[in-house]
Amino acid sequence: MDWKGYTVIYVVLFAFATAQAVVEFTGLVDSAYWVAFALIMVLSVVKAVGVAAYYQHLRWEPRAVTYLVLGGTVAALALTGAAAYSIL
Amino acid sequence: MSQEHEHGLPPKSSVSRWFLTTNHKDIGVLYLITALFFLLFGGVLALLFRLELITSGADLLGSMGYNQAVSTHGLLMVFWFISPFAFGFANYLVPLQIGADDLAFPRLNALSYWLYLFSGILMGVSFFQGTTFAGGWTMYAPLNTPAYIPGEGLGATSVVLALIMFTAAVTLGSVNFLTTMYRMRAEGLRMRDIPIFSLSINLTVWMMLFAFAALLAALMILASDHILGTTYFQYSIDGTTMATDADNPGASLLWAHLFWFFGHPEVYIVFFPALGVMAECFQTFTGRRLVGRKWFIISMVLVALQSFVVWMHHMFLTGINLPIKTIFMATTIGISLPFDLMVFSLIYTMAKGRVRFTTPFLFSLGALILFIIGGITGVFLGAIVLDYQFRGTYWVVAHFHYVMVSGATALFGGLYYWYPKITGKMYNQTLGKIQFGVYFLGFNLLYFPMFLAWETPRRVFVYPEGLQIWHSMATVGGFVLGASFLIMFYNLFVSLWRGEDVGPNPWEYATSAEWAVSSPPALENFPGVPSYATGKLEFLDDETVAERTEGTPGAAAHGHAATDGGTATDGGAVTARAAATATAMEPAHEVGGEEHASHASFWPFLVSLAGFVTFLGLSGVRTGSVFYLSLATVGGIGTFGSLLGMTREPFHAPEMAIAERWPFERVEKMKLGMWTFLASDIVLFGAFIGSYAFVRVAYGWTAWHHDLIPAEHVTMPGLINTYLLLTSSFLVVIAMVAAERESKRGTVAALVGTFALGVGFLINKGLEWQHLFHIHTEAFPNGWNLSTNIASSTFYLTTGLHGAHVTIGLIICAYMTVRAWNGAYQGDDRAIEYFGLYWHFVDIVWLFLFPLFYIL
Repeated sequence: MDWKGYTVIYVVLFAFATAQAVVEFTGLVDSAYWVAFALIMVLSVVKAVGVAAYYQHLRWEPRAVTYLVLGGTVAALALTGAAAYSIL
Repeated sequence: MSQEHEHGLPPKSSVSRWFLTTNHKDIGVLYLITALFFLLFGGVLALLFRLELITSGADLLGSMGYNQAVSTHGLLMVFWFISPFAFGFANYLVPLQIGADDLAFPRLNALSYWLYLFSGILMGVSFFQGTTFAGGWTMYAPLNTPAYIPGEGLGATSVVLALIMFTAAVTLGSVNFLTTMYRMRAEGLRMRDIPIFSLSINLTVWMMLFAFAALLAALMILASDHILGTTYFQYSIDGTTMATDADNPGASLLWAHLFWFFGHPEVYIVFFPALGVMAECFQTFTGRRLVGRKWFIISMVLVALQSFVVWMHHMFLTGINLPIKTIFMATTIGISLPFDLMVFSLIYTMAKGRVRFTTPFLFSLGALILFIIGGITGVFLGAIVLDYQFRGTYWVVAHFHYVMVSGATALFGGLYYWYPKITGKMYNQTLGKIQFGVYFLGFNLLYFPMFLAWETPRRVFVYPEGLQIWHSMATVGGFVLGASFLIMFYNLFVSLWRGEDVGPNPWEYATSAEWAVSSPPALENFPGVPSYATGKLEFLDDETVAERTEGTPGAAAHGHAATDGGTATDGGAVTARAAATATAMEPAHEVGGEEHASHASFWPFLVSLAGFVTFLGLSGVRTGSVFYLSLATVGGIGTFGSLLGMTREPFHAPEMAIAERWPFERVEKMKLGMWTFLASDIVLFGAFIGSYAFVRVAYGWTAWHHDLIPAEHVTMPGLINTYLLLTSSFLVVIAMVAAERESKRGTVAALVGTFALGVGFLINKGLEWQHLFHIHTEAFPNGWNLSTNIASSTFYLTTGLHGAHVTIGLIICAYMTVRAWNGAYQGDDRAIEYFGLYWHFVDIVWLFLFPLFYIL
């Protein structure tokens, strides 16, 4: 990828980060917490995928590298999800 | 052999060799000897508390003495003996079995060993800091926190730090083994075809990579509770009783979740190498390839995956809800099924082959029998209703030892199996068999009575009078078991001098690659480049390698190999061919001057020594003692200096010219090593974020923000830091582009920009923290600091861990900036890319910390 491509990704990431703050500034966190929660977390996931795919070049690596990363992510999510569910 | 061919290493007779070596075989021997020392350490402690238990009551060691002995015995045996003992074999044998000349990162391997050794020394030193940790090897909260530890508790803090050091060693080792096994297999050697011991190690390190990261998170949090005063695992004290409705109702369960998320895979981390040894010995001494080998491997893969979804069966007696208990009961019963298949595979291998009752086979067979008993008795604990009765009793102690020590039994079989390979000498087989008899008798006399005395409460030195006979039998059994090791040590020690010399392969039908080379093998392992391309092991000379690599560097692979477990009819032939090939080749393999670059390095030892001093100092800094503060300071400077020295030391370990690399063909070893480390780091941060989520759910997710966080904790500092990190990530990729275009000015400018933005991030964070520390409001009259409440603890520690990652990144960035200034990286952006992988990961973590800690 050349510098123009990297720049486009940067602008998108910057905009999404701002959007997350805007969600709070508009008062959505207070008025509809779980809607705001979902919106903000989805934006974080999209940003993370963007950084991993383009800045860390996962898009161009063999799929096995992505599976390696997903392995760690799934393990962390399994621990968090199951542990939290266990006390609900 | 001249020093040049020894990669700059002194001879083995020189003490300095063992401090300087980075060779996998030397490191393997060091692991084996050190692990056996910790076996003695933990074993003597066990004998002490077994003596204590001859009669009810603590009349020999005293109550604290007993608690310390039991706790330290558990920790030493689980962490410092069994796994490192297995990894002694793994270090020595995996490169040999897969056709590599060493591990991918030899210095990292040496660093793993020295960190392991010094972590054990720190564990020992903890006895001299008042008392060592005495709350049981599972270290349940809140008994693991300073408020519940008698005295100053510095010894307990040292134990936590020793475990952190040990975990660091394990993580480095996991990265190293995975990179090696995916980048350095001999041509034609598919993953499914590598010898079963190496396969078991492969799956073990996968589990280690993720499980130990969760343990590392738990230990770092615990260390923070000890040293920095955070309150993750603390209950509030209400008068003289624990207030369970305090501001952190999830404290105790959080530890249990983190510990057992690691702890249950740990059972298989311990047992899998033993299973690999058993399979190797069963194949060799029955002269039969493992029956259902493919299904045996599939079963191991299934267990490795399932091991991460059974941990809550250790928590059936806690307050977790019934649906989750039911789910975990089902997964626990499910994990026994692949084990059944593996057990039957081993039994059928015996039935189909012709058994030779050698010492290694006897230990392997003994291990199988003990494991079957351990497995069956474990099913009781996997059932919720029965677990209510058995939990916390000697049933657990007996079951646990039948499983774990059966693993150790197989590993002792491994010691007898590979001793001739490692030393070039054969031991006295009759003495070996006698030791097995005494060992097996002692083992069962020690642990079986515990099933009968199961009503004895675990970790308690008082028991009903009627159970005394069983405890007395167990104590006698303990001493018989201990005595059996005297036979083993005598036999193996004397055989070093008096044992008969052995050739490459003293065992008929042993067919994995280590048996095709001399005993012990030469420093570079093979008399050529190993290849299975034709379906059998061959050693290629330089010309053939050059021909194969011409035009397609690193290309490999056609043909598949049966690398272990020869059948009764063809096993010997495979061995003979391999051995014949081995002896026909010249022992010294010359590929060029590069391969003979020095592989001697003192830095791994120094880094670990300095790390030890740092951790010892940290164990006492909360007392304000000048001694401990000085140790921490000197150790910290020493660690930084020695790491810098290690970075600047020329050390060349080239990739193999020709190798099998599925599924990471296009991912060179440094990059694969970095990605593997990052996968582990994902679990580390995941466990930190998961801990935050857990205690917040326990408290009440939405009430958390209103009750525990001051209004002064606003979004803007987090948003600014998000912009800074995103921009710095952008500059790293621009530095890559500039380096590729050979623009030195552009590379330096982009790296300087990255550095400046990272520093800006830390300054902004520092200002924010200072502000929050010193707020004076009605709700928080004394500021909002690490100890104020559970929300402040999670905020400072999680973002602090992230800040530490930023700081490490900045140090690397500064180093690279200087190198770029001196002209490095032009036309080759790989080093910047590898740094970028780390830096972008730090960026990604922040993308989640920002909303969780600043908005939601």
